[in-house]
Amino acid sequence: MINIYEAIDANKRKSVIIVIAFILFVTIATYVFAQAFGAYSGYGPGGLGYVGVAFIISGLMSIGSYYFSDKIVLAISNAKPADRKKDFLFYTVVENLSIASGLPKPRAYIIDDTAPNAFATGRDPDHAVICATRGLLDKLNRSELEGVIAHELSHIKHYDIRLAGIVTVLVGLIALLGDWFLRVSWMGKRGSNRKGSQLDAIFLILGLLFAIMAPIIAKLIQLAISRRREFMADAGAINLTRQPQGLISALKKISKDSEPLEVANKATAHFYIVNPFKNKTRGAVGRFSGLFNTHPPVTERINVLNKML
Amino acid sequence: MNYIFIGIGIVLIFWIASTYNFFVSAKTRIKAAVQEIGNQLKRQADLIPNLESSAKGYLKHEKGIFADLTNARKAIDSAVKSGDVQKMANAGSKFAQVLPKLQVIVESNPEMKGASVVTKLMDELRDTTDKVMYARRLVIDLTADFNVKRVRIPSNIIASLFKFEELPGLITPEKGEHVSVSSEDVKTPKVKL
Repeated sequence: MINIYEAIDANKRKSVIIVIAFILFVTIATYVFAQAFGAYSGYGPGGLGYVGVAFIISGLMSIGSYYFSDKIVLAISNAKPADRKKDFLFYTVVENLSIASGLPKPRAYIIDDTAPNAFATGRDPDHAVICATRGLLDKLNRSELEGVIAHELSHIKHYDIRLAGIVTVLVGLIALLGDWFLRVSWMGKRGSNRKGSQLDAIFLILGLLFAIMAPIIAKLIQLAISRRREFMADAGAINLTRQPQGLISALKKISKDSEPLEVANKATAHFYIVNPFKNKTRGAVGRFSGLFNTHPPVTERINVLNKML
Repeated sequence: MNYIFIGIGIVLIFWIASTYNFFVSAKTRIKAAVQEIGNQLKRQADLIPNLESSAKGYLKHEKGIFADLTNARKAIDSAVKSGDVQKMANAGSKFAQVLPKLQVIVESNPEMKGASVVTKLMDELRDTTDKVMYARRLVIDLTADFNVKRVRIPSNIIASLFKFEELPGLITPEKGEHVSVSSEDVKTPKVKL
């Protein structure tokens, strides 16, 4: 039995710890790359350099997807705005829960797909969108739907889409730097303006190591952040509805359905309430592949929610 | 050495300002949330006559339910006019009591369940009571945030410095039936089918 407020506080703490670990890792990795590029080309690190250029490129690549995330995702998933008369349940649940959370009412959209799922997007609460599939609305009753919508509203309230955007830029930065370093070191022809010192040699080796490992590690931490934020949104949802049972039975219903969502792709997977691909592996392999998942396993989420009953 | 003190001073001032701002803006938000309750109750009161007229044909022999609805609407109207939080909260609960009665009527008349007008009426009633309930919850949550921050270290220093009083939120009587559990409540409810 955990008090809901304690659960929220614990989630916040853990989330902050992971994010700090991520920032530390990115800082160390960029430092190593900067030094390694310096050692390689024979110039001391300084000015804009490779790191600055990589940051700008990675930022430019992500800024569009961040700024227009609502429009892009809605266009890709072929979503239509919900109508108060036809989709009374969905529309009013979104309306009511946004009253409870004190957020402006997000726009409500529906995807015509029988696989039950839902997601939220938009860079801040004023541009937020909540999207549910037709299958979800058909299968859930009111209190279950309230659980799902409250989960999505908590994502909006916690600025999870913004966090995900920033993290994506930094992961992209590390990936770019690693890629460049590997290319440069294969192309050969070292600059020889500077006498190679022992420190340079160390940074060259470290640079190679980081070029191979860092993008993977950065990606893994990114996924860990994503999973932590899911737990946080679950706790936030219960804080809004005070009915863990609703979200639990909704999660059970959604996970029982084995139909994958056709309009989802890798880029939008982390938005959904449960992983839209439904890959099911168990045991040690499952645990390992769990590291690469955007969402924690549904059984684990239900266990946590059960403690709040 | 001086720079360190200046740095600490700047951080301190920022912290004091942001904590003070939290208290002031929380107070304003709570006020707005209370107005939201009134707003939702007003919506409820406006909705009832429309629902009545649309469902009257189906519920001809159930005059009592309409009298209840009308009474609830009058209570809400006068409460919203008075602007008193407590009165508004009570008026809303009167309306919520009508809902189960209507449910019983619909359940006991199978032909009525099929009528889309009646289901629509039920949906709208549930929705409007939910809206009032959630509006109240926001007031409860915001006042809880305010009051917790008021007594916790270190923000309690700012609260006592600027004399922020504890806010009541929605007042529920601390004594009475709802805080004690009678032996009736402990029994597992039996459902006869």
